[in-house]
Amino acid sequence: MTTGPITLSRLNRAIAAYLQQPSLTNVWVVAELMDVRVARGHCYMELIEKDASTGSVVARMRAAIWASVYTGLASRFRKATGREFATGLKVLVCGTVSYHPAYGLSLVINNIDPSFTLGEAERRRREILEQLTRDGIINDNRSLEWPTTALRIAIVSAAGAAGYGDFINQLYNNPSRLKFTTRLFPAVMQGERTAPTVIAALDAIAAESDQWDCVVIIRGGGASSDLQAFDDYPLASNVAQFPLPVIVGIGHERDVTVLDYVANMRVKTPTAAAEWLIAHNEAALERVRLLASEILRVASDRLSGARTQLAYLESTLSIAPKGAVERATGRLRQATASLGSIGVRRISPELARLDHTVTAIATAQTNLIRRRNDHLNAIEQLLKALSPEATLRRGYSLTLFEGKAVRDAASLPCGAEVTTRVASGVFKSKVID
Amino acid sequence: MQKPEFKPVSELTYNQAVNELDTILRTMQSDACDIDMLATYTRRATELLTECRNRLTATDRELQSILADLQQ
Repeated sequence: MTTGPITLSRLNRAIAAYLQQPSLTNVWVVAELMDVRVARGHCYMELIEKDASTGSVVARMRAAIWASVYTGLASRFRKATGREFATGLKVLVCGTVSYHPAYGLSLVINNIDPSFTLGEAERRRREILEQLTRDGIINDNRSLEWPTTALRIAIVSAAGAAGYGDFINQLYNNPSRLKFTTRLFPAVMQGERTAPTVIAALDAIAAESDQWDCVVIIRGGGASSDLQAFDDYPLASNVAQFPLPVIVGIGHERDVTVLDYVANMRVKTPTAAAEWLIAHNEAALERVRLLASEILRVASDRLSGARTQLAYLESTLSIAPKGAVERATGRLRQATASLGSIGVRRISPELARLDHTVTAIATAQTNLIRRRNDHLNAIEQLLKALSPEATLRRGYSLTLFEGKAVRDAASLPCGAEVTTRVASGVFKSKVID
Repeated sequence: MQKPEFKPVSELTYNQAVNELDTILRTMQSDACDIDMLATYTRRATELLTECRNRLTATDRELQSILADLQQ
């Protein structure tokens, strides 16, 4: 060993030389990607290993893929997994440990095994799904019944995301002019903060779940590798147990996340989510239209029934008065005809009774007159018996002085000339004494 | 002959009006019809008929406009 100080570069060159060993060349390493970034065609990243139970980082190393191989590797990886080579992925990479005097230790990657990543993601998804099945909640959200109309939409998305804009545009420009109500519950839609912020947004919606008909979790664009943030047990559990139907529109054609299994409805894009909601409500609208035409049909039937009835009544009315008059006339004619017979039957006895009555009246009158005559004759006899002539005939006389009957001899002066009336004749005499 | 009291047709429902119309027509067709009342009955029946027809027409128009609204 040499003595005395050496320069750092010499030390580092020594380390570099020391590290050039077959055991550190073309080693296949399992690791998780972090801070993946591309600069001037080269891809830089951190490789980490987490403790399976605690999640804490137990190993870390810088890594790089030089531009000469990166383009080919990245496209091959994308083709095989449907994902970008990006942060969060578990990968199996082949690389050589290299030590650069200025930049330090790193793993220079020359190959990637996409099937590992694919299998890893699949394994993780399967584990989560198995856990959800054990929990007995995996089908909870999927078996929720949709309300007939779902117009009040709570949206979980990132505020500025293109996918959110697409969704809103599609929804509010629907041809049926359905009136949707929406509110954005913002969440981070990629990276490590995805699950906690989406869960927080879901909690906020659940707190006012009576104001919403459903939840739409959407994002657009973004690296598809970010999707693995949605393969998260707490998030999947939340969605599965959410009281409102959840529509998930976060993936692309080939990607499936756990959320796609637990959510009530899975669509490929935010636009598709809007289209589905529009179709759902148009179906409700169509049912209303059908009911409307049914109502109209029933009403029209009733109306035409009423019209027929009225027409019948009208035709009846046009002949009823004439009929009534004709019937009355007929009755009158009949009455006139029957009057004759009725007359004979009723009038003859009456006439007979009348004849009898006339006779009776005549008899009664004769009798009455006769009785009156007798009475009058009797009175006449009496009157005759009481008359002055009768008295005179019985020998009495009547003496008059100066035209008045003499009742007192003393009233006569001596020598008065008086007239005396007897039954037959009159004589004058002179008072001597 | 006492004249019957008729309610103003506008206060009747359609069914009441039609029933009254029907009853009057039955009366007019029966022997119970008093000739003194015939003109009164005919006038009343015509009035009821006109009212019923007007209401039917109005209802028909209303239905069409409701349907037009629904189909928008």
